[in-house]
Amino acid sequence: MFSKLAFHNAGRSVRDYGVWFLTMVLAVCLFYVFNALETQTVIRFLSQSSRADVVQAIRELINMLSAFVWVVLAFLILYASAFLIRRRKKELGIYLLLGVERRQVAGLLLAETALLGAAALAVGLALGVLAAQGLSLFTAGLFAVPMTYFAFSISLPALVKTALAFAAIFLLVMAGHALAVSRCRLIDLMKARRVNQSLARRGKAASLLQFLAGAVMLLTAYAMLLTRGLLVVDALFWVMIALGAAGTLLFFRALSGFLLGLCRKNKALYYKGLNLFVLRQFNACINTTYRSMTVICLLLLLALGITASSVGLNSTVEQMVGRQSPRDAQLTLWAEEGEAQPDLPQLLRQAGFNLDERCAAWYIFPVRFVQDRGAVVDEEDAQAMEALWGEKEAARYLEEEGLDVGATGPEDSVIQWCLLADYAGDKQDAEAAFQGAAETLGREGYGCWYTTRQAVWLDTMGTKVLVLFIGLYLGVVFLLTAAAVLALQQITQAADSVPRYQVLARLGAPEKMRRRAVDMQVFLSFFLPLALALVHAGVGITAANQVIAQVGRVDAAASIGVTALLLLAVYGGYFLITCWGSRRVLREK
Amino acid sequence: MEPILSVERLSKAYTGRGRETRAIEAISFQVNQGEFVGIMGPSGSGKTTLLNCIATIDAPTAGRVAVEGRDITGLRPAQLAAFRRQRLGFIFQDCNLLDTLTAFENIALALTIQGVPAGEIEGRVRECARLLDIGECLDRYPYQLSGGQNQRVAAARAMVTRPALILADEPTGALDSQSARLLLERLTRLNREEGATILMVTHDAFTASYCSRILFLRDGAVFSQLERGEMDRRAFFRAVIAVVARLGGEQSDVL
Repeated sequence: MFSKLAFHNAGRSVRDYGVWFLTMVLAVCLFYVFNALETQTVIRFLSQSSRADVVQAIRELINMLSAFVWVVLAFLILYASAFLIRRRKKELGIYLLLGVERRQVAGLLLAETALLGAAALAVGLALGVLAAQGLSLFTAGLFAVPMTYFAFSISLPALVKTALAFAAIFLLVMAGHALAVSRCRLIDLMKARRVNQSLARRGKAASLLQFLAGAVMLLTAYAMLLTRGLLVVDALFWVMIALGAAGTLLFFRALSGFLLGLCRKNKALYYKGLNLFVLRQFNACINTTYRSMTVICLLLLLALGITASSVGLNSTVEQMVGRQSPRDAQLTLWAEEGEAQPDLPQLLRQAGFNLDERCAAWYIFPVRFVQDRGAVVDEEDAQAMEALWGEKEAARYLEEEGLDVGATGPEDSVIQWCLLADYAGDKQDAEAAFQGAAETLGREGYGCWYTTRQAVWLDTMGTKVLVLFIGLYLGVVFLLTAAAVLALQQITQAADSVPRYQVLARLGAPEKMRRRAVDMQVFLSFFLPLALALVHAGVGITAANQVIAQVGRVDAAASIGVTALLLLAVYGGYFLITCWGSRRVLREK
Repeated sequence: MEPILSVERLSKAYTGRGRETRAIEAISFQVNQGEFVGIMGPSGSGKTTLLNCIATIDAPTAGRVAVEGRDITGLRPAQLAAFRRQRLGFIFQDCNLLDTLTAFENIALALTIQGVPAGEIEGRVRECARLLDIGECLDRYPYQLSGGQNQRVAAARAMVTRPALILADEPTGALDSQSARLLLERLTRLNREEGATILMVTHDAFTASYCSRILFLRDGAVFSQLERGEMDRRAFFRAVIAVVARLGGEQSDVL
């Protein structure tokens, strides 16, 4: 009988609290995707190179972030579950009234949570496996990785890790439920029909004053950020953050009163359809929601900022490739005082790299130290390089390396011997041979330094992948959290408003009009935090771009595009689901 | 003159698990312009079902309800909402005011739903409030008002749209006698001065004694009818009590 009840209730919860279940599923999915990095094509491609430490670094960072993400998700799920229980207080009261023991009621809740949790975990993991493949395809395309590295795969360690992480969260939820049941009193449960919030009202002047104070604080924080820059972390930085947060709080606290006053002035708007009802509804709950609105606004800001900067940084990093290594391979041998010219081709051949076989073009030249001019390349060498690679390429190389061109003589001491080379034939093969030879030289005691275009490229790509994955991971987590909290609040509020909508129906407000009122309410609660967050993010990203612009060009369009897409998908999706859910709650009864 | 409300052989049966329960059976009556009609009866006599059918909240199984000559039993849901909005006004036992709106806004809402121009609204609301003696509490919220004041706000909301018929379901049910008396006096004033047609369901003889005519229901049918005529309210009250006693004599479930 008991298990039947649990099953039935769990089934009903999935239907009634679709948002709760969806959030759970998405959280599991997200957690799996970013912990199953080895299934990513890009990561597989990176780890086949000899510089596997890049992959290791990415993995360690994601692991560390996952701990943080776990905490955020745990809070979200605990919050959502507490919401769920509050909605069911009356039902629990009836169980207790019928003589069901507390232990049994707690057991019932635990069984339900276990069922729902298991279902969410299963669905979430299945979805996660698919999403990981999707992300894999997307990033592979983004980084132009050959598709031979793509394979459908499932990461067992990530599966186990996700399952354990969420099992722990669900255990916490169960503990919370048990505590709630053991501490509740029957009379409270039976009277749980939401007592009307005491509607503390503030005068118009007070709310206008608060609004202005909030606006001034925000503007001050913006001005500080834009003039001081993003990276100056000192005491004033924290003052700026505090000003921003407090300004946001005051803004939302005063907003509803301000908005109401403004609309009441405009009679044609106020006395149109259900407008006055919607505004009053919004105003009535603002006392409790302005804090959550602030938190949601700041979460959105984090989500937007992190996503946009990570994408922006990505395209900037990309521009830096090719600049650092103009030729396929580059080797520098430090010259000793008074030493004869070393036979570099011979040395390399002995170490296993034959320049004549492996390379299409190569050139070796000395860099000399000239008094008052620094490191100088001889004019003849410069001309030879121009002949090999063209005037532009040669000039670019000399500029990047900070080398001067001029007449030199044997009296100027050689500080280093440089080799520039372009591979011939199989580049992959040549690369391996070159790196092996260079390592050998180093081991044999030669003071040398080398770099290859491929190594630089892989390094850059590793950085890009890291930045992008971290940005997407955190961005989506924050976005999901903000949207889920809003959705839960709105649907709960809809359930609380059922009697009000019944009155509207009896007064003859047509279904369409009532639906519009519901949508309007949901829209206000989703849009207002977003609007302010967008302004915050706009200022923040401008400051971030100033930092990025110091190292490279900023691709604002790409970062804004990706961020907007993500926002539309997650936040917009939740908005639609909330509208739909609220309508359903209000239509059913 | 065409009656405002005409109910012809109205029946409503609830079927569940093969058994049929007849809530009301073949009731017929008419309400004329400017009448204040009461419907009395013990619980289970079908008062509320009758009211719900007239209010178009419930659909009858047989019979016809016509308001101002228009049959409303066959209307589609969208038409019903429009009809309710334009021709009917409701007063409920638990006044059903919106707790987030002031008294003024509660009354105004009935007008804004109808799409009345914004310029007309304040005047009409104040006029209505004056008739019901709630002019001073318009800026307060329902929880700041007494039960009687709330019920008068609800009455103002019901009549501000100038409906053809005001339906009141136990409007004094939750009020103390003082507030009930005040509400009923104001409803009578609306009836006399504004010519509002009111149909009120009650089980209280005192409340019913304010009406101009009373229908007594029992077991889903009209048991008896009482006209006030030239009687004063006290005499009418005694007459009502007499019928109630007759009703109760045959049935232990006293009103």
